[in-house]
Amino acid sequence: MTYLIEEKNDYLVVYLEGEVDLSCSPEARRVILDCLQKQRHLLVDLSRVSYIDSSGVASLVEGYQVSRSKNLNFALVGVSDNALNVLKLARLDQVFPIYTSIEALLQGGS
Amino acid sequence: MPPQGVLAVVHACARNEMDATRISELVTQVPSLSAELLRLSNTAYFGFSGEVTSIARAVTLIGHRVLRNIALCIAMKATLKPDQLPAFPVAEFWEMALRRGVCARILAAEAAQDKEAGFTVGLLQDFGLLVMFYLNPKVTNEWSRLSELTPDTRYDLEQQLFNTTHDRVGFQLAQAWSLPEEFTIAMGYHHQGTSAEIDKSSVELCKLAQCADWMSAVFTSDNRREAIKQSRSLLLDYYGISSEQSNDLMAQVAVSMNEAASAFRFDLGEQVDFEDLIGEANLHLVEENLSFQQMNWHLEHTLKERDKIASELNKELDLAREVQRSLLPDESDHLEGIAGLNVSAKVVSGDFYDFYKLRNGKVAFCIADVSGKGMNAALLMAKASSLFHCLGKSIHDPSKLLAMLNREILETSIHGMFVTMLAGVFDPESRVVKIANAGHLPAILMRGSTFDSEYPAMAPPLGVIPDARFPLDELRLTSNMHLYLYTDGLLEAKVNGEQRLEREGLLQLFSRYSDIPPAMRLLHIVTDVRSSGGRVDDDMTILLLKG
Repeated sequence: MTYLIEEKNDYLVVYLEGEVDLSCSPEARRVILDCLQKQRHLLVDLSRVSYIDSSGVASLVEGYQVSRSKNLNFALVGVSDNALNVLKLARLDQVFPIYTSIEALLQGGS
Repeated sequence: MPPQGVLAVVHACARNEMDATRISELVTQVPSLSAELLRLSNTAYFGFSGEVTSIARAVTLIGHRVLRNIALCIAMKATLKPDQLPAFPVAEFWEMALRRGVCARILAAEAAQDKEAGFTVGLLQDFGLLVMFYLNPKVTNEWSRLSELTPDTRYDLEQQLFNTTHDRVGFQLAQAWSLPEEFTIAMGYHHQGTSAEIDKSSVELCKLAQCADWMSAVFTSDNRREAIKQSRSLLLDYYGISSEQSNDLMAQVAVSMNEAASAFRFDLGEQVDFEDLIGEANLHLVEENLSFQQMNWHLEHTLKERDKIASELNKELDLAREVQRSLLPDESDHLEGIAGLNVSAKVVSGDFYDFYKLRNGKVAFCIADVSGKGMNAALLMAKASSLFHCLGKSIHDPSKLLAMLNREILETSIHGMFVTMLAGVFDPESRVVKIANAGHLPAILMRGSTFDSEYPAMAPPLGVIPDARFPLDELRLTSNMHLYLYTDGLLEAKVNGEQRLEREGLLQLFSRYSDIPPAMRLLHIVTDVRSSGGRVDDDMTILLLKG
């Protein structure tokens, strides 16, 4: 897994890429929590995630829960089919705000 | 004051002319002592043949001197109870007292003296210090400092803190208890040693006490080199014991401590090996004189330490695995038509399943997977499975049960960790199965060897959001129908190299073994997955209900 952080308007955007499994989900978790620690709204881009397991999903869930406790926005954008399948199976697509792209979010779309 | 009856036994034992019958009578009057005596007589510590059931026999077998020690132990423990000085680590004090007793006993045996008298004086010599703490609870926090000092520096600090010292207080105490004179004197004069003008037998006890104090400090003091040096010098002066012999004596201490502690019911921390202590003391020399041999020792010590930690960790993990195993149903929980199997990829697992019969004859069951792996997942697994096992007995509606579990897990769980769970209740009469699925993989219903339908999650996992609702699904499990619940470890098991089993592969296995009895079938399925050349990276758990 690799990642990249970018600033867009009020948001920090974390781009995750590759396989997010047990070997690297602690890193994904740290990156996500660090951003929230800076009191910044956060988007996690999963468009280049080829595989995500439950530990990776747990990092996202933790980001989501921490953002709520800090009154920050948290959303997933451009979720790849593979990642979306995992989220859907666990019905977590009902939990996370999911947008097709950052532009769609910023323009108030879905 | 200690119980009078116990003291009477102490006094009686000190008088050699007292016969066993009279002593037995005295012992019988003190229930705690009688019980302890019988218990001890039957421990391996004394190794008497046959069960000892009468007090008289126990007194005869054990002998006056040991009996006196037992009585003194009880008297000391009874005099000052831990709740009188809550913040004081009484157990630590007893451990140090016991170590002095053990040191004095070992030394007495070596010096051809009465070893039980040695034990007694070692045990009693610092009792005054405990009394000083009871009288001055405000200085309780100084104990940790005192306990790490060598006998001479501790003596000075006592004087500063309490304006008196343990030998003076101990002397008064021994007089108040009317202890035999030689003990009273040894308690009062062991820091003066041979310089005090006292009779010969008391001098010998004082010497033993003094040596035991320093020997014991080797195991507890922050200045071990000094303690070792001083012990060797005293042993040589008093008994002509060489350094090598003194090492042998020290090496016996840890073993004897454990034996004595279990016999006299002291709770001990782990006993440090004398060889390790010697090595540690030598370590300081490395700084002064870097020799290859010592560097080598350092390396060996480090490796030994690492192995020790690894072995301790393994023990902990084994224990954790045991606990986890105990949370899963076993053969004694056998129910007709239902079976489960769990194979862990690591020592501890984040998966679990459960089933049990409810009072109304229905069967509650569940399968679950905790996010992440390792010890934190295992602990959450233990919590979730206990909650299911306990609450499931009174909440028979799977939907309500999951809502309750969700609240419980959310309340205390660490951020981000969640549990996917599929829970259900099966009625063997009507064959109706009610299930609710919290973010878990779909349950798969097979009709014979063909796929019939599946029951995906309608709600997120437990521990993610409050107020989640968990809709109920209902199905009839008629004969020839099989309902499979499983965890993602099975779907993601890599078969034929890098390829994952996936849903299709799993359906093929369900189909292939559809006519085998449930428990055997699960074994076949899992064995097939494992033997197909792939790695198992995750726990695999599977539960089957047969119509």
